[in-house]
Amino acid sequence: MDPVAAWFRWLDDAHGINFTVAYDAFDRARFLRGLLMTIELSVSSIVLSLIIGAVGAGMARARNPILRGCVYWIVQFFRNTPPLAQLYFFFFGLNSVLVTHGANGLPQPLVGNVAWAILSLSLFAGAHNVELFRAGIEAVPATMLEAAESLGYSRFGTYRHIILPLAFRISLPAVNNNLVNLVKTTSVAYAIAVPEMLYVSNQIWSDSLNVPEMMLLLLVCYLALVGILVRFMGWWERALRVPGFGA
Amino acid sequence: MSTTLSRYAVAMSALALLLAGSAFAAGPAAHGSILAALWKWTPFLLGGFGFNLVISALSMLIGTALGFALGLGLIARGRLMRAACGFVMNLFRNAPRLVLLFMCMFLIPFKLSLFGTTVPLPGWEKAVFGMSLAVMANVAEILRGAVQSIPTAQWESAESLAFSRFQTLWSIILPQCLKRMIPPWMSLYSIITMDTVLVSVLGVGEVMTLTGEALASENNDRLLLPFYGYVLVWFFLYCYPIGLWTARLERRYAVK
Amino acid sequence: MRRILGTLLLSCAALAGATAARADVLDDVKARGTLVVGTKADYKPFGFRDATGAIIGIEPDLAADIAKRLGVKLELVPVVSSNRMQFLDQGKIDLMIATMNDTPERRKAVLIIDPDYYASGVNILAPKASGLKSWDDIKGKTVCMIQGSFYTKDIGEKYGAEILAFKGVNEATQALKAGNCVGVVYDDTLVAALLLEPEWADYGMPFETILEQPWGAAVKTGEDKLAKIVSDAIIDWNKTGFILAEEKKYGLPNAPYAVEMNKKYAAH
Repeated sequence: MDPVAAWFRWLDDAHGINFTVAYDAFDRARFLRGLLMTIELSVSSIVLSLIIGAVGAGMARARNPILRGCVYWIVQFFRNTPPLAQLYFFFFGLNSVLVTHGANGLPQPLVGNVAWAILSLSLFAGAHNVELFRAGIEAVPATMLEAAESLGYSRFGTYRHIILPLAFRISLPAVNNNLVNLVKTTSVAYAIAVPEMLYVSNQIWSDSLNVPEMMLLLLVCYLALVGILVRFMGWWERALRVPGFGA
Repeated sequence: MSTTLSRYAVAMSALALLLAGSAFAAGPAAHGSILAALWKWTPFLLGGFGFNLVISALSMLIGTALGFALGLGLIARGRLMRAACGFVMNLFRNAPRLVLLFMCMFLIPFKLSLFGTTVPLPGWEKAVFGMSLAVMANVAEILRGAVQSIPTAQWESAESLAFSRFQTLWSIILPQCLKRMIPPWMSLYSIITMDTVLVSVLGVGEVMTLTGEALASENNDRLLLPFYGYVLVWFFLYCYPIGLWTARLERRYAVK
Repeated sequence: MRRILGTLLLSCAALAGATAARADVLDDVKARGTLVVGTKADYKPFGFRDATGAIIGIEPDLAADIAKRLGVKLELVPVVSSNRMQFLDQGKIDLMIATMNDTPERRKAVLIIDPDYYASGVNILAPKASGLKSWDDIKGKTVCMIQGSFYTKDIGEKYGAEILAFKGVNEATQALKAGNCVGVVYDDTLVAALLLEPEWADYGMPFETILEQPWGAAVKTGEDKLAKIVSDAIIDWNKTGFILAEEKKYGLPNAPYAVEMNKKYAAH
């Protein structure tokens, strides 16, 4: 690490281009923790949003109109409001209301800010997923449903074994797009002091006043993360491909 | 049309109930003062919301113009042109919008000196520029998708009728594309409008910043939920109709 | 490839910056007829909003006095801790009076005017039931702070506390009330002002005030003429007790620094 660090120190002294992350151990540790937090937020939200999408799309097919209505309005709410405002509503609004009192009478939050960020982001992306899965479900040919019924599958069984796998594969490209958007949206967690990449970079550049360098590093890291996700989703699409569906 | 209106009416009444409900949840004595506080700050907050709408409108305008140009570059015949435009598009699509905004706010100077005149660049203009870049990349992709969805037969027919590439695009392909582009473009407008709240993180005085300041001035934590809920309601009331309209247009323009 | 784009962006910015106008700020102000001052808009009572949206408070009043002395109109621009120095540097504001602590690092970036117009130390706003007695008690615990404060890194490193830094004062106190942190580390004068209000009755300021730092008004580096005018104004404020009166007007207890400065200058 020493020659690399030395070169970056030279870069700072000679040209004023200051990449403290390269030569300062404390800043490097901070930035890596931020990167890990972004990855943690992304992975947790992706998994949770897929679950929400599957469950929500199933509930949207329910026979009970009240249940269908509930799903419809919740989905519309999360699709038509800004994720930052949702996050503020959850963390600064709802969190204050849901306060319990601990042992010595001190207020205890129900969950921490990272958990609220994951919850808010998952609901945001999950709502979009519900719509995408619904479109996928509608694209499943009726002949499949009739065949399943004639084979004696229950309504839930049809959904679980026939409809969901096919709908998932059909909607995967669009879901892919949504998940990439989710990874980019994790940066709004900055506003509630979740120590993800943008927050940590802000701290570093407040101390070292090296804004453009940190911006560049941040941009490169996000592009790398998105690149990895897209690569993975492409592999997953190919692995799940069913002949006769999609391009 | 009537289902759309009735859905919208249900939404509005439900939200009104929700807002009143959250005010009531704070206790009977307080609810009057919460609604009073909301009413007192409404003109101030509405000004902020209007600012959000202006930022999104300008960004869409500039970004769409730039996006058309970039989109044409994406379907160009030269490989180098396609690669370069593809790179630019991917760069601005894959970068988080908050990071793009940060970059524009910090890296663009506060004023430009061109040929003796100085042009001041306030923060919100830099934010518009940043958003326009994001819009540009998305519009380019929408254009490319629309052009690709036109059957190849159209291109071949045009070629057999001795249309040049430019004439083919201008007279045949693009007019058909425009209709197909409208639903995703409207969807993009909705997304960009919602993303304008990101500029609050950079200190621009739009509705989220102003809500924070109003709350600071009131200094009453029972107002948190109602105030943030209020802002959410406004965005919902603006973006939900756009979503309904987009869905209607998609059904109308669905190509078999 | 991305690096090329980044360097291109940087060089464009540098080029544009280099060709920016280099006129004297004071001349610009006189020519414009308006003094643009950056103050806080979310930090009661130093700078906050009234229902019409106007920025009011102690610092806007101080800014109005400076504008009066220059014989120009006043325009207030809201700033936050993380952008106040950048705005000054970029020329977006001519003068900054925004609860900024005077530190040697900041003196390198902007021209801080002597004498300092106010002072405060750092203390914590914590519930009485928390049982916190001294700074060492926050080790391993979570405390809330404001982004851009000069003591964020120091306190975090020195006392081993987890820091949650929020954009503004309001967000930090909201997080405290919900229990996301054991206390808000903050200027002691502000904590004292908050504790006067009934909703903070169960809270206290248990630690000893440390890092006593004066607050400085600032102008862009090199703007000596404007600095001199502001400096004279500050001396005058302390002489006439203007600052003490302002504190009283907004319900703040008199800070010891202000009392001391008043005594010092009134004697002349």
